[in-house]
Amino acid sequence: MIEILNHLGYGLQIALVPINLLYAFIGCLVGTLIGVLPGIGPAGGMALLIPLTYGKEPASAIILLAGIYYGAMYGGSTTSILLNVPGEAASVVTTLDGYQMARKGRAGPALSIAAIGSFIAGTIGVALLMLLGPPLAKVALQFGPAETFALMVFGLSTVTSLAGKSVRKGLVATTFGLMLATVGSDLPTGIIRFTFDIPKLMEGVDIIVVAIGLFAVSEILSSAEEMRAGEFLVEKVSRIWLSFQDFLQSIGAILRGSFLGFFIGVLPGAAHVTASFLSYTLEKRLSKHPERFGQGEIRGVAAPESANNSAACGALIPLLTMGLPASAVTAVLYGALLMTGVRPSPFLFQKHPDVVWGLIGSMYIGNVMLLILNLPLVALWVKILRTPPRWLFPIVLAVSFVGVYSVNASALDLLLATLLGVVGYFMRRLDYPLAPVILGLVLGNLLEQALRQTLMISGGSLDIFWRSPIAITLFVLAAAVVALPKVLYRSQSKLEVET
Amino acid sequence: MKRAERIGAAVVLLLGAGYLWDALLMEDVTIGDPLGPKVFPVILGGLMAMLGISLLIRPVDGSPPRPLTASSAYALVLALLLCAYGLGIEWIGYPAATFLFLLAASRLLGEKSWVAGLVIPLALSLGVFGLFTRVLDIPLPLGLIGKLME
Repeated sequence: MIEILNHLGYGLQIALVPINLLYAFIGCLVGTLIGVLPGIGPAGGMALLIPLTYGKEPASAIILLAGIYYGAMYGGSTTSILLNVPGEAASVVTTLDGYQMARKGRAGPALSIAAIGSFIAGTIGVALLMLLGPPLAKVALQFGPAETFALMVFGLSTVTSLAGKSVRKGLVATTFGLMLATVGSDLPTGIIRFTFDIPKLMEGVDIIVVAIGLFAVSEILSSAEEMRAGEFLVEKVSRIWLSFQDFLQSIGAILRGSFLGFFIGVLPGAAHVTASFLSYTLEKRLSKHPERFGQGEIRGVAAPESANNSAACGALIPLLTMGLPASAVTAVLYGALLMTGVRPSPFLFQKHPDVVWGLIGSMYIGNVMLLILNLPLVALWVKILRTPPRWLFPIVLAVSFVGVYSVNASALDLLLATLLGVVGYFMRRLDYPLAPVILGLVLGNLLEQALRQTLMISGGSLDIFWRSPIAITLFVLAAAVVALPKVLYRSQSKLEVET
Repeated sequence: MKRAERIGAAVVLLLGAGYLWDALLMEDVTIGDPLGPKVFPVILGGLMAMLGISLLIRPVDGSPPRPLTASSAYALVLALLLCAYGLGIEWIGYPAATFLFLLAASRLLGEKSWVAGLVIPLALSLGVFGLFTRVLDIPLPLGLIGKLME
């Protein structure tokens, strides 16, 4: 314990050197801007700015990039809450209740709890990273393709069962997402699937195109219609700051989200997206009023925002302890480390303590900086909502489009986003949930590859799943999650009849 | 509005069946890979088609979907404007397409003043173009206007 505190002190010393403080600040600022603009996600933003790190000390370079990473996670929640525009896949969950809060005049508390939740989660995540890093890395190593497949099945079934009123409609949405993921060339064999002979579709459908189309475009199509019918109401901002009561209501969700997010973050497979979805469904399951979720429940913002931040810390564990990049963002960090002459390996802690502990120290400081940077901005952001809808809607669409276009410079992506906007518009009308589509799309390829790798290892026999205790546990949990809501619902209505 | 539910279920069924059909026609390669690229899509298509049939036979009961009204036309026109905008970005260039889109969409949604209606789109299209091409160094197309300026 004392040893860890010594290391942390050493890390803080490195992070508090004025030049590194400046880099952390620049990183957070640029990251926030990248997060606010839809399209360029954290990984893309970091890759764009790698040139800034040329010729810098390894510790400084990594501090700058990590700042961008955190800043982008923070910034992504802002547009999700204010405009229903998810900047990246993980903030899709934040739109569900965040945007409803904004429409009810509670954008300020929503933004504040996102910032505070991220801060608490970030701090917990860093602490867990220091304490549990090496032992957890061993657990993560046990996750072969079979366990990864089971984990993703568990994630998908949880979200499917809790996203809407009907499990069948949730399953339609999940399957639709998985189908979208199969578009493009199949990685192991190179076979082209479901591209309708359109060359640009060979690389697959970009997640951001689907997120913007299904959420932002369809929301604005529906809102434009409501506005013209005289039904679109945005309540006046009642109070900008979070009340103590709001905070008390959310703190449980923040803590649960932080721990859950961290542990899922360590595991392979789009961890921070899964973490935000799972923590949301966990809160909905625990709540006495699950029907309030999706209507502007503050815990529905606090939980996913916390989970995705602590998952970011968890995702660093495979990189720092084993030298394995397990996600897009950590892959960019991996590349940046290589360029500064540091080779990520299982010996990173011993060989380059300045980099590892400097990074951990700067995470603490970055979290404080982001909180200080973001809370005053809340008052400014909330003013955006005073823009009259006849201007707000077209501007949001135009900004979303430039974000989508900047990803691949493809006009086809814009048409796809529009088409998905129309699909989303009808899905909303018919009460099909939208969020499972995103998780299906994010996990689709990983899920299929994990299944195929598993069967390659076993030579085609399904027995391999039954020989893994982790996989069996996850499958049982997945089945329970789908079956339970019905059982619980029945026993509840029975109780009501009896009383 | 049971009918709307049924149409939705029919679309789900058609999507599943069409996807399944396409998956079955796919050529199969299974070198060292017992599943190959085909099996997973076949499972997905089959599942989707079965969900469609299930929803057709026994629709979900619950709140009825909102009926389409005359104001639904605004959503449709806005979607068409977006299509035109998407196609226009590469053809007439980002600034011009954005200007026209913002102008048309704000008119559609009820902007009456021509001064605001022209000034806001002009400022925004040039502002965003400048931010992306100059500050963030992300190229955006100039299209026809770029050719004219050469």
